[in-house]
Amino acid sequence: MGVPYIPVRGLAGTDVFKRRDDMIIATNPFDPTEETVVALAQNPNVAILHAQKADRDGNALLRKHGEDVMVAQASHRVIVTAEEIVDKVTADDEGGQFISAINVTAVVHAPGGAHPAGVPGYYEQDADHIREYMRAASDEALFRQYLAKYVIGKTEEEYQSMVRQGSRVEVHAAGGGG
Amino acid sequence: MTSAVACNTEELLAVLMSREIHDWEISACGAVSMIPAAALLLAEATHAPNADIIILGSEQLDRNLGKDIHFLSQRGKLDLFFHSAIQFDAEGNFNLHVVGDPNAPELRLPGGYGSGLMSYTAKRILFFRTEHTTRTFVPKVDFVSGAMVTPPSIKRPQDNFKIFTTMAVLVFDRATNSYRLESVHEGFTPQQVQERTGFSLGSLEGIPVTPPPTAEELHTLRTEVKERMIETGTYPQWARTILQPA
Repeated sequence: MGVPYIPVRGLAGTDVFKRRDDMIIATNPFDPTEETVVALAQNPNVAILHAQKADRDGNALLRKHGEDVMVAQASHRVIVTAEEIVDKVTADDEGGQFISAINVTAVVHAPGGAHPAGVPGYYEQDADHIREYMRAASDEALFRQYLAKYVIGKTEEEYQSMVRQGSRVEVHAAGGGG
Repeated sequence: MTSAVACNTEELLAVLMSREIHDWEISACGAVSMIPAAALLLAEATHAPNADIIILGSEQLDRNLGKDIHFLSQRGKLDLFFHSAIQFDAEGNFNLHVVGDPNAPELRLPGGYGSGLMSYTAKRILFFRTEHTTRTFVPKVDFVSGAMVTPPSIKRPQDNFKIFTTMAVLVFDRATNSYRLESVHEGFTPQQVQERTGFSLGSLEGIPVTPPPTAEELHTLRTEVKERMIETGTYPQWARTILQPA
């Protein structure tokens, strides 16, 4: 949208509002009897979005129901990671939401890149891994162990080969009848 | 003539809330809202066949709205929204964020969106809670996720709203900005409800008994609604286990 701030109906009187400094209550400039919450625009420096497909120009097909296009439009730079790089992605392609190359800065081929979340048509979410992450995230020391095991000093290939031992294999096996 | 039929808490609340859904209106419930989902489908199957219903946690009945539901509600076009909370207080505030100190909470909840936005913009709000205790109905909530009383300069629908619990139906009366008992379910007295509420419910005299679910309502809930929930990926596991055999 490109606007510096936006009026929002809601949030007045809540502790969410009180705990944030990016929202204030302001008078409607066209109606002095009305006040609304006004929220500061959120403009991330970089957004990273994972797509099913992308082409080399940056056109991409993203999951259908998310607000990824809005995030892309709000961000200064947009990196699309994709399960597949194809010749051409167009607005007529089915199975996802189209995002135009005009909103995209760079494209990266990253199969499995949504893990432990899933990608429709490619793989299911890895519920076991999400549970492992949630257990780790509840405790500082456990979370450090998680990072040491999967993230710090690990390459993408090492990560993918570790997690592929788990439910991703089961997912493929379960789909074997099709 | 219908005779009273035994039912569980979820069935009771689904039936009572279904009666509040109006035909031709747009009514919605958020994620993890099994009881409202059943209530919406029951209303559609009975008195509200032309209602527009939106079940955000459903595979097939979420209407693929994405952010459209947000803007629908912001425009004031959403007639009814279902909501729950872990705590309610005397002033009409409710909490769906944290229990305990917000900076070091004992319990963290999904919280913010519906509370802070939908509950301000939907025309009518129905709250539901599957317990009625003094830990739920407290003098002051630990965290204000939604403030149902705001200054008149904040333009929003200002209808009375209701809370459906295992014991009673509470109404927050906008004229007095306080709760009162609309009705008490069979098997409880207004005094018992007051004892399990951490703030005054006003007069306990002349409070009617909540009309219990009829045999027809429960039958439809346990057959047509249950099947529809299973068919449409609307909390099928919940429907199978919670909704009783007809």
